[in-house]
Order: sequence, then structure tokens, then C-alpha cells
Amino acid sequence: MKLTRAGVLILVAFSVPVAIELRTVFGLFGIDLPLAAVGVFEVILVAAILVAYAITAEPETATGP
Amino acid sequence: MATFVDRYPEEAAVVRATFVVAFVSLGIGAFFGLIQALHRTGYVRILDSVDYYTILTGHGVLLALVFTIFFLLGLFTWAVARSLERPLPDIRLTWAWFGLTTTGATLVAVAILAGLIPSLGVSADVLYTFYAPLQAHPLFYAGLTMFIVGTWMAGADWFLAYRAWRADNPDDRIPLQTFMVLTTMLMWYLSTIGVAVSAVFFLLPWSFGIVETVNPLLTRTLFWFFGHPVVYFWLMPAYLLWYTVLPKLAGGRLFSDPLARVVFVLFLLLSTPVGIHHQYLDPGISEGFKFIAMTNTMFLLLPSLLTAFTVVASMEHGARQRGGEGYFKWLGALPWRDPAFTGMALAGLMFAAGGFSGMINAGMNINYLIHNTLWVPGHFHMTVGTAVALTMMAGSYWLVPQLTGKRLYSRPIGLLQVVLWFVGMVFMSNAMHRAGLAGVPRRTAEPQYQSFDFSTALGSVGELQAQIAFGGFLLFVSVVLFLFNILLSSFETPMESPVDDSLPAPLSGAEGSPLVLDDLRLWTGIAIVLVILAYTLPLGSIVTDAGLFGDSPGFPVLIDAVAMLKEVVA
Ligand code: HEM
Ligand SMILES: [Cu+2]
Repeated sequence: MKLTRAGVLILVAFSVPVAIELRTVFGLFGIDLPLAAVGVFEVILVAAILVAYAITAEPETATGP
Repeated sequence: MATFVDRYPEEAAVVRATFVVAFVSLGIGAFFGLIQALHRTGYVRILDSVDYYTILTGHGVLLALVFTIFFLLGLFTWAVARSLERPLPDIRLTWAWFGLTTTGATLVAVAILAGLIPSLGVSADVLYTFYAPLQAHPLFYAGLTMFIVGTWMAGADWFLAYRAWRADNPDDRIPLQTFMVLTTMLMWYLSTIGVAVSAVFFLLPWSFGIVETVNPLLTRTLFWFFGHPVVYFWLMPAYLLWYTVLPKLAGGRLFSDPLARVVFVLFLLLSTPVGIHHQYLDPGISEGFKFIAMTNTMFLLLPSLLTAFTVVASMEHGARQRGGEGYFKWLGALPWRDPAFTGMALAGLMFAAGGFSGMINAGMNINYLIHNTLWVPGHFHMTVGTAVALTMMAGSYWLVPQLTGKRLYSRPIGLLQVVLWFVGMVFMSNAMHRAGLAGVPRRTAEPQYQSFDFSTALGSVGELQAQIAFGGFLLFVSVVLFLFNILLSSFETPMESPVDDSLPAPLSGAEGSPLVLDDLRLWTGIAIVLVILAYTLPLGSIVTDAGLFGDSPGFPVLIDAVAMLKEVVA
């Protein structure tokens, strides 16, 4: 499955609540992470999305839409 | 192939007019939202805190009542004409209700905004719930009454169209979109009785000084008699779009027509006898009645869960039509590039989250934890503020071209806009919920107190404030993008078919649904009985307790109340 640019935008948007709530999840286990942790989560998630895009984008240019 | 404006030019003109009113209110309301978000978090205070309620009243009324309901009026007019495949019976009636609702809404807005100019002596800082003994200028209640009567006329217009159609098609099933419009309007007629009685018999005479006092609990209860159904009045246009348009945008067809009808009938039945769940903390209503309201409320989960199932199933069907495969991989095959689709899908997703926070509100015991805190605005910005408002904005990207015959100015900007709304709301609403859990009050200009700190479970209050302000800012930018996109679209050159406006038949059609579902008289009858059962005793005891007109004088504006309090204390 190839990832489109619109798909990247949606996934990045969706990563925001995930990053925010990951901190809540850690909090439930008594691990209080600082605000910066949310930033780090978010950066990791966005990086993962971009890597996925870079990997899957090749067939898009190869075969053309 | 010609589009809606070519087939029904007169109806299209009315729908355009209602959308203009809706979008103007959206712009002003969103600006007020930004002011509040920055004010109460302490970042920017351009207004005096004394004027906070003026702005907050404007925000609530313009967005939750004017924007949503004017969009509904346009959408339902479009839906009735296109699904019955005939023009409305008399376009003069249609313009008449447009004129009445617009005049009413304008009077209300003037009464509210006049509060910013004290020398006028007119104000309505009563918030969109207009609880007595807060008192507004008579203009406010009069405008409100005109607005409500206008919506009644609109309903009559659609029922007349249906009757004319029925005369020509005696044996057909009611087309699905018209069915949705009619059941929604029946619910509206039943529930607006509460607010009409409250405004006409109690609040208006009291604001004119014809009667001296009101019974605040009575007018509050009458407000919530209407106030819960009104949330479904906001939601039903979104549901109409999710059931009948979203599957098509996803590339498929509605999963089940009968299930859609069941859902709308359930809302007609269950919307009204639950209003007391907004009054769990009101003294003067006994716990037993509150318990009944809570039980009814929990039943309302059923149609919402049915909707989640049907809508997701229809989307999956669409994705598979487009070549999607696997358990979850089909999600990638959906048309995420299309702002109309993406906006509605994100709105639906956020509605699921709003549903969960709503369950907390609905539980009688756990409600005490979050009552009147910022949690509550956190909740309804996900439901009416996103599930409804974002669906309406996204739907506009598909509807407006049909009404103007012109293409949308920019789809990428549209996509950015809906995504920005989603992200902005994640920030704002998440922080509002969490601040509410820490006890931060709603409806407060300066929730910062000397020698008192709210203790949060996680992170600091400062972080939450920043999150609210930042989210509010993104939301405001999103509205600006939306309005510019729509405005610039009106300068495009007209074209033959600016958007694919065909709606495919459902997978499981109306033939499969029991005939009794279309028996609107039966369902209305049952709905009335349920309302009588739920409300007779509570209303009876409220009236016996303090009398019809109670003993509360009015507080024209908050400042007077404060001045009075000072005197009492001194
Ligand atoms: C630009 C986007 C928006 C922003 C920044 C915003 C911000 C806010 C804030 C901060 C409050 C809480 C104020 C307080 O309790 O002190 C509030 C209340 C409210 N908002 Fe929004 N909002 C936005 C959009 C919407 C939309 C789209 C709707 C509905 C369609 C809506 C309906 C309401 C209502 C009904 C209230 C409660 C008013 C009251 O307590 O009387 N808002 N908003
Ligand atoms: Cu409710």
C-alpha cells in the first residue's frame, strides 16, 4: 500500500492525540513524564510516518498514478 | 449533467441565503471563541473581564444556535427538494420563514452585542441558556421567539412538500432524506414547546415588567426540556450527511436504509424525556426523577452505536470498492485527498471520543465530579463543536458547488482546513477535559485565584492553559481558511457539473424495512406519551413548590448583581 501526501497529513494529525495521551498512559502507571516527552513522542511518530512515506512512495513514482 | 442549482434555482437561492447567515455567524462566533480562549487563559485580554459574558453569550448563541440551525435550514431544504424530486410547494412560504428566522436571529444578536455599549441600555448577558434570574432585554426573548416560530414554518414547508409528493406517490416509501427531515422536525415541534412556553409566558412578560418575578427552576427545567433535544437537532443534519453523503464520498453505498430509519425513530422517541440529566445538581428536583432521566439517557447510546456501526460499515464497503483489502489496510484506500470526505471522517472520529466523555456527564454520580467545570465545554466542543460543525464545513465543500454551479476554489486548502480543525480541537478539548478534572470552572473570565492552585493529575495548569490557547488559535485560523475558500469559490466561473452530486442507492434498500417505520403518527404518539410520563410529576412538584411565577426578581446585568451583593455585604 502506498502512502499519499494526503495520507501523511492525516497520519500526522492523528499522531497528535496519540502523543498527548501516551503521556497519560504513562501517568496511569505512576510514571510522570515532563511536557518535553510529548514533544519527543511526536517527533518520533512524525519521523516514523515520513520514513513509511519515503519507503512506499517509490512505487508511486515508478508506476505513476 | 445539471446540478441542483439548474434543477431547482429558486430553492438553491434560499439555501444559499441560509448558508450566508450561517457562515457569517460562524466567523463572528469563532472570533469570540478566540477572544475567550486567550482571555481566560490569561494570554491576551483585549476586553474588560466585565464584558466576558457578553462575548460568551455571543459565542454560544451565534455558533450553537444560529450557525448550526441556519445550516440545518438550508441542508434540509436541499434534501427535501432533491429526494422528493420536486420543488417546494410555494417559494414565498420558503422566503417567509427565511425572513422570520433571520430577523429573529438579528434581533437576538443586536440585543447581545449592545451589551458592549453600556450607554444603549440594552443587554442580554444571559448566556445561551438564558437562565433566570439573569435577565435580558425583551428584544432578546422576542427575537428568540421569532426565530423558533420561523423554524416551525420551515417544518411546515417541508411537510407540505411531502404531502404533495404523497398525493402523487401513494404507495412509495418515504425517500430516506425526507424521512430524516420529517422525523427530526417532529422531535423539534415536540421539544420547542418547552422553550416557547418559557419565553412567551414567563420570560418575556417578566422582562417587560408585566410580571414581577419568575420561578427560576421552572424556566430552567423548560429550557432543558428543549435543551437536550436541541443537541439532536444539531446532530441530525450531520447524521443526514454521514448516512446519505459520506458513503458516496467514500466510493460506496449506504450499508442499510432500514437501520438508518430505526435510528431516526429512536431519536424522535428518546430525545425529549432526558432533559433533566442537565440538572443533576439542581436542588428542587428529587433524585428519583433524575434517575429516570439517567436511565433514558443511557438508552440513547443505542442509536449512536448503531450509527457508528452503519457509517463505518458503509465506509469500509466504499474502500473495498476502491480496491482496499485486509483488516485495517482498507483505511488507506479511502479518498483522504477529498476535504469533504476527510472532514466528515475526522468529525465522526472525534464524535466517538465526545461520546465517551458524554457518558461521564450522563452518570448521575460521576457527573458531580465534572459539573460546571471546563470539562463540559471540552465535551461539547467535540460533539457540537466538531462532530456537527466540522461535518457542516466539510459538507459545504461538496454542497456549495451544487448551489452555485461553481467549483470549489481550492481542495488542498480545504484539506488543510479540516485537518487543522481536528488538531486544534485535540489540543483545546483535551486540555479542557483535564482542566475540568482539576476543578477549573467554566464560564469564568479569570479562573486564576490568589493563594489557591488547582492540582492537576498530570502536567501543570500552565501547560493546560497554553494548550487551550494554542488549540483555540488553530481553530480560529481554520475558520478563516474555510470562509476564504468559500468566498473565493463564489468568484469562479460557472460550469456544467462542478461536483459529482449523484447519490447511489443503499446496499439494503427501503423495501427491506418494516412499513411501520414510516408510520410517523404512531411514533409521534409514543414520543408524546414518553414526554408526559417523564415530565408531568417533576413539573408538577416544581410548580407546587414555588408557584408558577416564583419569587425571583431579575438581575438585568451581572454588574447590577455584583453591586447588590456589595451592598448586602457592606
Ligand atoms: C474558533 C473555534 C472555537 C473556540 C476557540 C472556542 C472557544 C471556547 C471557549 C474557550 C469556551 C469556554 C468559555 C468559558 O466557559 O469560560 C467556549 C464555550 C462555548 N463554545 Fe466554543 N469555541 C470554538 C468553537 C465553537 C463551536 C464551533 C461551537 C458550536 C457549534 C461552540 C460552542 C460553544 C458553546 C455553546 C459554549 C458555552 C457557552 C456558555 O458556557 O454559555 N464553540 N468556546
Ligand atoms: Cu443532554
